[in-house]
Amino acid sequence: MATEALTAQDASAGPPTRGRSYAGRRRRAPLWLMMPGGVYLLIFLIVPMGLLVYTSLQSGGAFSGRFYFDWDFANYTDQIVQYKTQLIRSVSYSVIVTIACLLLAYPMTYWIAFYGGRWKSSILLLILLPFFVSFVIRTVQWRFLLGDDGIIFGPLKDLGLLPDSFRVLATPVAVVAGITYNFLPFTALPLYVALERIDKSLVEAAKDLYSSRWKAFRHVVWPLSLPGVFAAFLLTFVPATGDYVNAAILGGPGTTMIGNIIQEKFLRELNYPEAAALSVILMVAMLILASIYARILGTEDDTLTTAL
Amino acid sequence: MTEREDRDLTDRLLQDAMRTRLSRRSVLRGAGVGVAGISLASLLAACGEDGDGGGGDPGGETGAPADVFAGEPGDTVNFANWPLYLDQAKDKDGNVYHPSLKLFQDATGISVNYEDVIQSNEEFFGKLQPQLQAGDPTGWDIIVITNGRQFNVLTGNEWVYRLDPSKRPNFDANATPFAKDPSYDPGNAFSMPWQGGFTGIGYDASKVNGPVTKLDDLANPAIVGTDSVGMLTSDMPDFVMINLGIDPVNSGPAEWQEAADWLLMQRESGTVRQYYDQGYIDDFVAGNAPVSMAWSGDILYYKVWAGYPDFEFLIPEDGALLWQDNMLVPVGAENAPGAAQVMDWYFDPKIATMVTEWVLYLSPAGGVQERIVEDAAAALDDGYKGYANKLTMTAESEFAFPDDALLAKTQFGTNITSDEQAEEWDNIFLPITQQ
Repeated sequence: MATEALTAQDASAGPPTRGRSYAGRRRRAPLWLMMPGGVYLLIFLIVPMGLLVYTSLQSGGAFSGRFYFDWDFANYTDQIVQYKTQLIRSVSYSVIVTIACLLLAYPMTYWIAFYGGRWKSSILLLILLPFFVSFVIRTVQWRFLLGDDGIIFGPLKDLGLLPDSFRVLATPVAVVAGITYNFLPFTALPLYVALERIDKSLVEAAKDLYSSRWKAFRHVVWPLSLPGVFAAFLLTFVPATGDYVNAAILGGPGTTMIGNIIQEKFLRELNYPEAAALSVILMVAMLILASIYARILGTEDDTLTTAL
Repeated sequence: MTEREDRDLTDRLLQDAMRTRLSRRSVLRGAGVGVAGISLASLLAACGEDGDGGGGDPGGETGAPADVFAGEPGDTVNFANWPLYLDQAKDKDGNVYHPSLKLFQDATGISVNYEDVIQSNEEFFGKLQPQLQAGDPTGWDIIVITNGRQFNVLTGNEWVYRLDPSKRPNFDANATPFAKDPSYDPGNAFSMPWQGGFTGIGYDASKVNGPVTKLDDLANPAIVGTDSVGMLTSDMPDFVMINLGIDPVNSGPAEWQEAADWLLMQRESGTVRQYYDQGYIDDFVAGNAPVSMAWSGDILYYKVWAGYPDFEFLIPEDGALLWQDNMLVPVGAENAPGAAQVMDWYFDPKIATMVTEWVLYLSPAGGVQERIVEDAAAALDDGYKGYANKLTMTAESEFAFPDDALLAKTQFGTNITSDEQAEEWDNIFLPITQQ
């Protein structure tokens, strides 16, 4: 907290003795640097976002040939009532996925950061390698691998090691495992950035002071890696909640996530207002959950930006 | 044996060898791309509320054909269709082409830009809606849409041209009874069918515990097992209604609820593996869903052409759903006269046969069955016994060439024509799949 306040003061104080015009130019420079990205975001993020909210308050349908704006807030209340099960399910799946990703990625990235040596980059590349193939294709391959009588379960069933009715596809396990697989790199990269930046001499210092390995980890490494954990959480939890590909490809009846509902409404029912309302609901829910989490864990760090 | 110049047998054999179709509707679509590509367009469409619909008066019953069909055809017709829905062959250089279209070009001098870009009615309609609503050209001269909700929106808003009945001699001469004057488009005012098919039950005879004969078997774990039945989301309400003895065309919310109750009962029974938008055939072939609602042509292809003798297609005792994919000319089409020529071309039995031997669905043109039999005999004469056998089995399939008794058991689906109906329908049926 103390450093935070200090940084804030530094920034607000500014250079005290500069000439006026020079200072003005200096102050404008960042604005110009932000221009390209800013305009891009304005056009492709802010404007569609506005349209989304605008659409979410419309009524009408395809048969009447148009939708019209009439402050239809019922879109919101109806959707929450109708799809609370799927909303809750999406968040629960996503929580499990995030925890699973952290448990899988933390030891892995810890090892790379501390013991990877000159292989660090190569191993990181291995983590990134799946990105070179479309994740839809990779998920479809899971269907092939996990088929009820596929190349894994077929032989096991023939040997009598599994009951004939055993299956993984079309169950929540398949969906959660699929999302975990697809989002693992999103968790691993920010964790790696945070762990990599930890000064190894701090750990040595802890050991010099008769700390056990566990205590050194608990009191030195873990706290210093928290910003990475936070960034990993954001990059995994938020998109995983809205994911619909895994539920569509690996799920069955009873694993529908909110993303599937939104997709249905947009593409099958062509009910744009309700789809937009659900999207806004999901977005706001994510913002609220993420800010609660931010309050608890703190955000005063640039790991997220570095990782990206 | 009549020698027909339109087909060289070796070409046809090559064609069979490169036949890798799965299902016209089950080609994997990049799910993510679908949403990303469409959402902005849809939003813009939704926001274009003030644009006056360019399609004339909605629901107008004037009946006069659009005058765009008069005049000389342009050089190119832009034709949007579903994947694997037209005959294909490879030329000497290995390029894929469509023999029936090449013959058209040779005969008329009009070239056809054929693209298989339609993977779902809803999605394709969603892409066109912004232009149609604003009265802008869509870039297509022919699109193919299944009878159903999107079809009715297009015709109801007159977002497609009224066809000129004087420009379809082949259609008048050869269209089958079910292709002519269908209940969803009286007098074929807006549309001519491309291909049709049945939605029935496909099952793998080696993987079920007893004979599947009727709808209720799909909810009976003793026969079909648990977690093993594939259901087709968009077809199942009509399919169930027909099997409950309800004619979907004259159905209302009370009947819809009956079908929904059956579907809920089925879900509770634990037999359902998945509700599919598309892609059911992959799970069916892999054995994950060895019993599934299925499209006739898909099962026919696997059984006859791909060597799965245990696959069976069944029209349940109480009936099945009949659907047709229809050619339409969207408003703003630049080459409507050319489009009319292409559409009528495919009602020439000779040309229709080329399509049917490739896609194996229900031909809207008559005279195809005899020609396939002829082709089979010709193939046999030339010593291609296997190919001849497949052609014969295709010609003998009652699902490609239904008799009147079978057709009498099938019906078209519900004809939803207003937003109120659509909402009511969605409220009844969506809770079944969206769990």
